Amino acid sequence: MQALLSFDKAPPFAAPLRFFLTAPFFALLAGLLLVWEGPSLLVSRWTPGTLAATHLLTIGFMLQIMLGALIQVLPVVAGVNIAHPLTVSRWLHGGLSIGTLLLAAGFQFGEPDALAMAAIILGLTITGFLMVVAPPLFRVSSTSPTIRGLKFAMLGLVGTIALGVVLALALAWGWSIPLLALADLHAAWGLGAWGGLLLAAMAYVVVPMFQLTPGYQARLSWWFPVLFFACVGFWSVAVLFELPLLAILAQVVASLLGLTFCIVTLRLQSQRRRARPDATYRYWQLGLSCAIFALFSALTVTLWPAVKDSNEWPLLFGILLITGGFLSFIVGMLYKIVPFLAWLHLQNLGESKVPAPAMNKILAEAAMQKQMACHGLAVVLVMGAVFAPEWLARPAGFAFVVANVFLIWNLAGAVHRYRQHALLIARKLAAL
Amino acid sequence: MTTIRNFMTEDHRHCDDLFAEAEQAISKKNFDAAKAAFEHFRNAMLAHFNAEEKTLFPTFEAKTGMSMGPTQVMRMEHAQIRALMDDASAALAEGNTDDYLGQADTLVIMMQQHNMKEENILYPMCDQHLAGETPELLAHIEAELSEA
Repeated sequence: MQALLSFDKAPPFAAPLRFFLTAPFFALLAGLLLVWEGPSLLVSRWTPGTLAATHLLTIGFMLQIMLGALIQVLPVVAGVNIAHPLTVSRWLHGGLSIGTLLLAAGFQFGEPDALAMAAIILGLTITGFLMVVAPPLFRVSSTSPTIRGLKFAMLGLVGTIALGVVLALALAWGWSIPLLALADLHAAWGLGAWGGLLLAAMAYVVVPMFQLTPGYQARLSWWFPVLFFACVGFWSVAVLFELPLLAILAQVVASLLGLTFCIVTLRLQSQRRRARPDATYRYWQLGLSCAIFALFSALTVTLWPAVKDSNEWPLLFGILLITGGFLSFIVGMLYKIVPFLAWLHLQNLGESKVPAPAMNKILAEAAMQKQMACHGLAVVLVMGAVFAPEWLARPAGFAFVVANVFLIWNLAGAVHRYRQHALLIARKLAAL
Repeated sequence: MTTIRNFMTEDHRHCDDLFAEAEQAISKKNFDAAKAAFEHFRNAMLAHFNAEEKTLFPTFEAKTGMSMGPTQVMRMEHAQIRALMDDASAALAEGNTDDYLGQADTLVIMMQQHNMKEENILYPMCDQHLAGETPELLAHIEAELSEA
């Protein structure tokens, strides 16, 4: 069936906005946790605090914004309309927020009940979201690489949440399952098959759109999601049937595919035709550079078993990919999406009689650039803290807190100016 | 055979190229060249909108009976893009680079997300419903675009 026609029903601003405004608070909590725990948080990736901080970032920040943004963009990129977007957003937002807090508390304080509750709440919330979004998405034929990429990403989300729920319940109720191997797999599904494929599907659209670059080469954008998804699939089979060689092969090919995607994107961005480099472009450059280093470190860990047992490398990989990579891509996109949506809604309020202010009047370029500098510094400090935890763990946590307070300030400021302009427009309309 | 989707998408890319020329001139602080390039871009966009509103959309509406559907939304977005182009052009005329860049940023996203809806949703629908008359329709549109 072809994409539906009623793509005029843009969801109300409140639908995606609630996700965008709460997500930075979870990143802020992760930063506070690092300040509070200090060096002990960076001893290994398995400490309670590290697991708590990781999920504050991956679910509390990343997944919040990813799902909130999907509610907004699915009608535009795939012609998929979500029935009752505001109701769906409320439930999804509530479930994700409460679930993430319980999960982080469960890890941090070793509370089995909190872990089990979190697993059930997050499992139900995301299953509910998938039941609303997946059927209309899969009914649309894959007329663009983005639509196809989104479908594979959705399957990735299914795998991630299934493994996550099993792992959390196993921890809570003491099931005997191979926790470490399954946790690696959970991360591969979450950061790769879900996060990576969603990012690629969106990049196909937003990289040319925001920066006026040439489009991604058709064959690459068509095959990347399938091949990458297949790698994660083979990796899972390898873990289930204990086939170490297949696991290594799948990990190597997945890393190489990820590297190809990043390098191609960097090359496209070098051919950008906008007049000046903006915060979004710079954030993407930072994200791509970090992701490239992360994937190289993943390759090193896979091919050089001696490194695998070290505590530093896996931590470095996670920090590079999550804080340096995903967080940078996401904030970079938010800095376009929030001012644009504000403009779009103001435009509609003005009924073409009262003009809406330009995007840079909603969120100024200089404020975004300064916040980005804070974020960049925080990423460098957190990376340094892996190797010199005694010296850098708390300063890194503090820098991360500052970067996210700044982000909250910028986004809240944009919303505040949006509301002021909305009132002004209403007054002008009434006076006409 | 050229499809409506391919033909119209190519014209979108042509407009993007003209917009990029204005951006390049701005980045080199060559305001006269930027003004000329922007007007060139605006004319190409207006010609594209005209061809859609006078030829493609009415044909689609007549064939499918959907006159309040996607074509109506596209017309509304055309009006928004026209207004943005006017504002950007005015900022350029005043030599106000900051205002121009703010308007241009909005214009780029508005224009690109509009194009995406047309290219991924509306044009494939046109190809599906107007398969029989595509050659004459495209010849007509081509003539309209080259007259502008």
